[in-house]
Amino acid sequence: MAYISEFQYYDNGVNPPEDVNWGSYQYVPLYDIVNNFMLMYQGNHSLVNNEERFKILFHAKRAIQELNYDAFKEIKVLELAVDDSLRFVLPPDYVNWVRISMYRDGILFPLSENIQVQSAQAYLQDQTGRVLFDQSGNILRPEDSSLDFDRIKGSKPSIYLDQNNGQFNGQTGYNVDGCWYFEYGIGARFGLNTETANSNPTFTIDRKAGVINFSSSISNNLVVLEYISDGMEGGDDSKITVNKLFEEYVYASIEYAILGSKLNTQEYIVARMRKRKTALLRNAKIRISNIHPGRLLMNLRGQNKWIK
Amino acid sequence: MKRGAILSPSFFLLIFTKKFTMINTVRNTVLSVLNKNNYGYLSPSDFNLFAKQAQLDIFENYFYEYNYQINKENARQSGTGYADIRKGIEEAIEIFSETKGLVRTADNIYSLPSQTTTGDDYYLLNKALVYQTLLDEGTTTAISAGTGNNKLIDSAANFTADINIGDIIAYENGGVQYAKVTVKDNSTTLTTNRTDLNAIGRPYAIYKSTTKFEEAEKVTHSKITMLNNSLLTAPNLTFPAYTQEANALTAFPNTIDSIGQVQAQYLRYPAEPKWTYVTLANGTPVFSQSPADYQDFEIPLDDEVGLILKILQYAGVMIREADVYSFAQAEENQDNQEEA
Repeated sequence: MAYISEFQYYDNGVNPPEDVNWGSYQYVPLYDIVNNFMLMYQGNHSLVNNEERFKILFHAKRAIQELNYDAFKEIKVLELAVDDSLRFVLPPDYVNWVRISMYRDGILFPLSENIQVQSAQAYLQDQTGRVLFDQSGNILRPEDSSLDFDRIKGSKPSIYLDQNNGQFNGQTGYNVDGCWYFEYGIGARFGLNTETANSNPTFTIDRKAGVINFSSSISNNLVVLEYISDGMEGGDDSKITVNKLFEEYVYASIEYAILGSKLNTQEYIVARMRKRKTALLRNAKIRISNIHPGRLLMNLRGQNKWIK
Repeated sequence: MKRGAILSPSFFLLIFTKKFTMINTVRNTVLSVLNKNNYGYLSPSDFNLFAKQAQLDIFENYFYEYNYQINKENARQSGTGYADIRKGIEEAIEIFSETKGLVRTADNIYSLPSQTTTGDDYYLLNKALVYQTLLDEGTTTAISAGTGNNKLIDSAANFTADINIGDIIAYENGGVQYAKVTVKDNSTTLTTNRTDLNAIGRPYAIYKSTTKFEEAEKVTHSKITMLNNSLLTAPNLTFPAYTQEANALTAFPNTIDSIGQVQAQYLRYPAEPKWTYVTLANGTPVFSQSPADYQDFEIPLDDEVGLILKILQYAGVMIREADVYSFAQAEENQDNQEEA
């Protein structure tokens, strides 16, 4: 990729969208990665020789995918409104979630993942319990299972302190300054299960169905999903990039992947490549974590604070 | 010649002349060896046949030599500078290098280099290059004979928006030709730097002048189906691929389907050498470069000895003279050993 002028950088040569080059200098395009590897690491006098370019491309993309999962720290954020269906369809480039929050009154409320089963499929059955089929032999299914139905209607009790269906729902209590207080049950109450001690709505991710199911109290609220992708940019190779701090790691990763699977490569070479790869990954992770005195300063200023 | 002496222009002329008539020198030497002890005589037609074979032998041997030198380099048995044998072989091979547009036959299928499409048969297709940014394509609707057939005229086109001076026009006229836009006359007419846009109904394609060439990767038929179905590595315009089948090249992705979108850098076969004559002196043909079919050897001058020895071997077999064959064979073996 050629270097661009400052005019091109800021205004994209007056071609919309103007922000297309902003911050681009941090990244190396996939095209350059593959091109550089073919030029510099592959050839008659190199360890990697007579390899097809598509193999290099594959290993480059795999390295980029792996980096996107944990090293890049490039978290995507998507905000969507959740309606009465209590469902949030996962974004098309979703791989895993980082945090899910509810946005209400200008505040982000982090939500807890519900460890209970919240959603299920169901089959229609007759009175004797036999499963019903249509003419084509396909099983007939109801729109919602009872589990889903109860969850959506808010009638499903929960172990969480969810406002609508928590364990204190329906109990007699005292409202003082807007907060509810309840008497302990007989035998006293020894502590709280902190895992479920959250009054915010809860969620469960149904990965195969591609949705996040929420408890009923989230209805008609905004939900913010922080998630990670694999960096493949919807299959558009021209948009795939790697942070420059990881460039050398990607070369090392490709080299290791090729040599590690190549017949008759001496084991000491494979071991050398593995060490190089892991060392470069470690270095790059340290670099991108951006630990420097300036960032630590504010934390260290609290070192003499008295702890009560 | 003393080191540092100034070379006269006639010296360069001498070298040039010598190279230019290498075929005559080779023939004279061959005849001289053959005539020793009255072994026999080689007619011009036989000489031309043997010359062609000898040149092909040497040409093919370049690639084995090249590989041999690479292996020597990897074994750290080769030097640099004047000891860089590989460089010399590369230069000899690259004499036969050509880069030309491939003629499209249908969709994403292009003809491989051939006498009818590129003007020469290819020995090795080294790489296929793909134009990235197609700006426009269409068919010519008029010619500009009055201005020397230098204009691309297409009444259905709208050249105003996306075409700029310097952009590249590809069209087919005795193979693929590439012209540059020199003037944007109006929305349907472009002036080019070539003068062979002389037919109506000629398809053309225009590529952005700053477009990148992407190198398409050769993929075998055993892999291309899986590659096309691969999520991560399916060919696209950034990483195109191609397969070869008979005398056709199929480009992938199949959106590569425009005139002149694929160029090939290939090594052609050496032209067939032809020792020609026009007159006879005392019944002996006298060399002349005048006939249209005259063709000198194309391989470098330093292979002259090799040519002579190879032709002598063929001649020795022809005249059933074992001594000639043995002599040439022994000389060639010695030569090979020295070079190794």
